[in-house]
Amino acid sequence: MNIITLFISPLIALIVGMLFMGISRKISARIHWRYGPPIIQPVIDVIRSFSQMSISHGKFFDFGIILSLTGSFVLILFLPIGELCPMTSGGLIAFMYLMLLDPLGIALSGGVAANPNSSIGISRKFLLSLAYEVPLLLILIAVMTHYNTISLVYIVKIQASSGWAFSSWALVLPGIAYFLILPAILGVRPFEVVQAPQEISSGPIAEFGGKHLAFYTLQHALHMFVGLALFVDIFLGGWTLFGLLNPISGTVLGIVLGIIVFLIKMLVVLIIGLFINAVYPRFRIEQAMKYLLKWPTLIAFIGLIIVSLIN
Amino acid sequence: MSLELLLIIAFGGAFLTYFLGKISSILRNISAVLVSLALVVFVSCLYNIKIEKIFYDCFLGLPLAFKLNSLSWFFAIATVSLTFLSVIYSLDYMKDSKRTDYYYFIMLLINAGMLGIILSGDLVSFFIFWEIMSWSTFLLINYNKGRALLAGEKYIVMSLIGSMCMLVGILSIYASFGTLNINAIANHLSTASSGYKLFLLIIFSVTFGIKNAVMPLHTWLPDVYSESPTPFNGILSGMLTRMGMYGFLLLMYVIVGATEVLNFGEGLLKFNYIFAWIGAITIIIPTFIALLQEDAKKLLAWSAIGQGGYMIVGITIGTSLGMSGGIFHILNHAIYIVLLFMSLGAIQYRTGGERNLNKLGGLIKKMPIAFVGTLIGIAGLIGVPLSNGFVSKWLIYKTLILEGYPFLAFAALIGTWGCILYCYKFIHHIFLGQLPEKYENIKKAPFSMTFPIIILSLTILVFGILPGIPLKVVNKIGISFGFESLNVNIWGIVSETGTLNTINIFAAILIIGAIVWIVFKVSRKAVRVDQYDNYAAGMAVPKEKYHNTVDYYAPFNRMATPFLKDIFDIFYKKIAKSTEYTCDSIRKIYTGYVGNYVIYIVFFLAFLILIQLKWSVF
Repeated sequence: MNIITLFISPLIALIVGMLFMGISRKISARIHWRYGPPIIQPVIDVIRSFSQMSISHGKFFDFGIILSLTGSFVLILFLPIGELCPMTSGGLIAFMYLMLLDPLGIALSGGVAANPNSSIGISRKFLLSLAYEVPLLLILIAVMTHYNTISLVYIVKIQASSGWAFSSWALVLPGIAYFLILPAILGVRPFEVVQAPQEISSGPIAEFGGKHLAFYTLQHALHMFVGLALFVDIFLGGWTLFGLLNPISGTVLGIVLGIIVFLIKMLVVLIIGLFINAVYPRFRIEQAMKYLLKWPTLIAFIGLIIVSLIN
Repeated sequence: MSLELLLIIAFGGAFLTYFLGKISSILRNISAVLVSLALVVFVSCLYNIKIEKIFYDCFLGLPLAFKLNSLSWFFAIATVSLTFLSVIYSLDYMKDSKRTDYYYFIMLLINAGMLGIILSGDLVSFFIFWEIMSWSTFLLINYNKGRALLAGEKYIVMSLIGSMCMLVGILSIYASFGTLNINAIANHLSTASSGYKLFLLIIFSVTFGIKNAVMPLHTWLPDVYSESPTPFNGILSGMLTRMGMYGFLLLMYVIVGATEVLNFGEGLLKFNYIFAWIGAITIIIPTFIALLQEDAKKLLAWSAIGQGGYMIVGITIGTSLGMSGGIFHILNHAIYIVLLFMSLGAIQYRTGGERNLNKLGGLIKKMPIAFVGTLIGIAGLIGVPLSNGFVSKWLIYKTLILEGYPFLAFAALIGTWGCILYCYKFIHHIFLGQLPEKYENIKKAPFSMTFPIIILSLTILVFGILPGIPLKVVNKIGISFGFESLNVNIWGIVSETGTLNTINIFAAILIIGAIVWIVFKVSRKAVRVDQYDNYAAGMAVPKEKYHNTVDYYAPFNRMATPFLKDIFDIFYKKIAKSTEYTCDSIRKIYTGYVGNYVIYIVFFLAFLILIQLKWSVF
């Protein structure tokens, strides 16, 4: 069983992540009154990229992108997808640290490339992530304190019996704060300062072509999956559906239905997020930082105070 | 195996090395390496041995004692190993410097002083060795002259203030209990009033806080780290500064006792809670000041202050997990900060002492071993999984969250995320980006410098993948303080509230990494291009240096610079200035003319006579 989940989880994440990329492009195109590319366009792009020539700036340039994709796949193993969660070692704290591998890998690759545009992009990436990590850490600490555990699986399990975290009033504010910073975590508009093709020619990935670009696209899809899935796991109860699936949990049918429910929840979050964000223009990096450090942080902070007072 | 012999080797070796240096430099180098190696072998033989004995019966009427237990062994092995590596590292680095005999002598003397502190069983010998260490450090800080003299002055003034505090504490203990043996004091203190215990805790905390650079007593550290010789930075940042942590552990959990320290005060005003907050502030502010630094050594120095905060937070929370995290972090920090200083030293050695981050770049192609060392070092500093820093930080965070200190946990975590920014800045400015043309023909670092770098890098990975090895020793220390034993395995820690299994993470990363690597290899081969062949959106990339370094985190700098002044340093400098001014005006009394002095005497006598006439007191 465990061996199978080791392969199933990354596969689901990869496929769903790619589809979500396609869906988000399609939806924002429709919001902009364009026709938009087909939903499987990212898949086509990856396949095409693999067949194209790429350049390399040395061993560490390759190492960085390999590290980044590896980190993203490892992260999936630690994430409960439905009831599947192949690895639990270290809990949410280890998860937060494993989230570092993929930006560090990209940063290493981009740095070795010696392209000033990459370098600017990476400096923006780190500043942006510092800005959204402040509310994110407050949110995750609030959740861990409230449930008094560091295990992601256990957080989902508690929600199966006591209802979604989002509906328990103690965690409403952290939930709202997470939703506000979600576009920054995913790196979509208005927070696409890191790539900003018109300003710094795609930033960290300016030097990536061919297989490097394909690897980056896969990594990006996984990253998108993780950002959404974490929200669903922590606040929307993961695979739970108002207790309907509880009787069959653990059976094969239960697991499959759980995954489907889980993915539908992710899709809903993605679409709601897109409706809000697709109409915004891009922030400048200062504006993005100021926004992230103002409202989401304030809300998350009040949320943490409430949680710590209750305990 | 006697401890006297150990100290005789340590001190005698230092003098021997100095005198052999007068004969020949090769003999001196051999002697320095052999002495430090002998100490490593000697101390590792003492594993699991407990010794307590009086070695000199009547020093000013007091017995001097030695003590060896798991706590002292842990610190001793870290100290001698790092000194050994630093001595090897110095062989080439200090080859062309002047006064090399003196350098090795002081380095080994500091090592001996630290061993003495660690092995002292009473406060008199503790104080004597503490002073030997502090004074010889002062001598080595001044080694480079110039700005180093100012740094040394700052250090010695603060160090003296610390020593005086300790002396006051020791005298008051002697006056109340009539003994200075550490175990005897611990017995006496259990019946003492809580006010007296608080007095002792505070007065010794000033001493150890200065040594460990706890905010607001940290101001000596950035100057000293950036001005002292780089190979010495290893010992300085790795162990010497952490003697303050040893002092804290000794004070809190051996002398005063765990149950006392953890139950001091009420509610939010508990002693250990306030202390943990001081630690948290020590994490946050220096981390963000480090982000603003343009000088590589200053950046590492501020980072070292920040990391000290994690240790304080870990040991003051006072659960077996937090204690292990804090103590383990001392070792981990020592390993990776020494590694970072050594990698930086290799760069300095080859680039002629360049340490301005804005003037380096692209050295990854020329010095790959130093790069890998730095990469693993910053992985440890950040706490990337599979490095040793991850395990200790995990233990600390888990304790903070599950024991109900969410805001402390937030302070500690945000410190880590700030740390990522300066770590990347450090590695990016030195190794990544374009290689300046003047460094085209730079050579790799010599073997004596790469050897310690490789050893330390491997240690970081081994302790990160198999954290059980050091944690078993750390666990023994916790037990000796009276905490519960942890369920430590070779691959991590088992507990009901969350198990850490680093082998699992390692296996996952290894297998997935291998698969990704194979996919990468079998797909179409990439064309290797040089650093000038890159995409600049239609513009030509200039052939000269074009490396984005200056003001790297510009938006952050603009936002944060006004808030991140080192106000304590400014405040202390003002005090120093006004003291100087006052002393200067007092000095004006001494004019040098005999006539004036006669007048002073006459006035003074007249004053006395006046008093006698008025009140007839004499």
